[in-house]
Amino acid sequence: MYAAKRVTYAKKLLSTVGIDPARLEMYNLSAAMGPKWAEICTGFTEKIRKLGPSPIWLAVCRQSGMKRSELK
Amino acid sequence: MIVGEQKPFEEIWEMIKGFRKVLVFGCNTCVAICHAGGGKEAEILASLIRMKAVQEGIGMEVKHAAIERHCEPEFFDPMMEDVKTNDVVLSTACGVGVNFLAERIGDIPVFPGINTQFFGAVPKAGIFVELCAGCGDCILHLTGGICPVARCAKSLMNGPCGGTNKGKCEISRDVDCAWYLIVERMKKLGTIEKLYEIQPLRNWSTATYGGPRRVILEHIKDIEEQL
Repeated sequence: MYAAKRVTYAKKLLSTVGIDPARLEMYNLSAAMGPKWAEICTGFTEKIRKLGPSPIWLAVCRQSGMKRSELK
Repeated sequence: MIVGEQKPFEEIWEMIKGFRKVLVFGCNTCVAICHAGGGKEAEILASLIRMKAVQEGIGMEVKHAAIERHCEPEFFDPMMEDVKTNDVVLSTACGVGVNFLAERIGDIPVFPGINTQFFGAVPKAGIFVELCAGCGDCILHLTGGICPVARCAKSLMNGPCGGTNKGKCEISRDVDCAWYLIVERMKKLGTIEKLYEIQPLRNWSTATYGGPRRVILEHIKDIEEQL
């Protein structure tokens, strides 16, 4: 499970620069688990919505003097 | 190989936060093997610095690059003009590379991105162990190929000491007693009697106690100068 360990490591790296590590997750699925995949995607999207915009995104908006809706 | 570990990010950030053009400069030899300072690690570190800079509202241009070795000029000389366009170089090479680049880069500061640790081997992926202290006067032929300078916590020449305990060192159960290993190894080799021989006093001036060391090969040096 090298990938899982590396994701754990990447989460640590993200937290050192103020990014909530919950924004990165790893799931184990087979190609035959379509419904489960959809469920995970829906759940993860909801989770990210609750966490709000990333601090990087907000900082870019702040520095560019633009509203979030104006930025592509 | 030389083993290193990346410095804590907070420490790195404190070094570089006042600069605007930053180069994270990796070395693809020893420190790449120990996942501390190769091209990949330099790229990751550059990304982290960018993320931090954006959040801090600092307009910082962060680039990354890597070369095969930082300890020989021919590897980084071709890149020197590009390197000099930065305000600071954060080197993820070992301390040798940082020193070597700092001597050649002029007025641009070179900061260390990793802590250089020791000369080591890789018994398993992700595990690095110190096996040689680079003392300059090798006695491995007398100790069954096991170095008491690097691997005995006291660097004893006449171990084991009273702190040996079932093959482990008193400093930690995770540390083998080097002299226990030496005795067992020499028993196996049938050379245990060599340990009874009286050795002359050791000359520690060949280690760092004698000041900075250098090796000069006159036959090679002359050829280099003629080229």
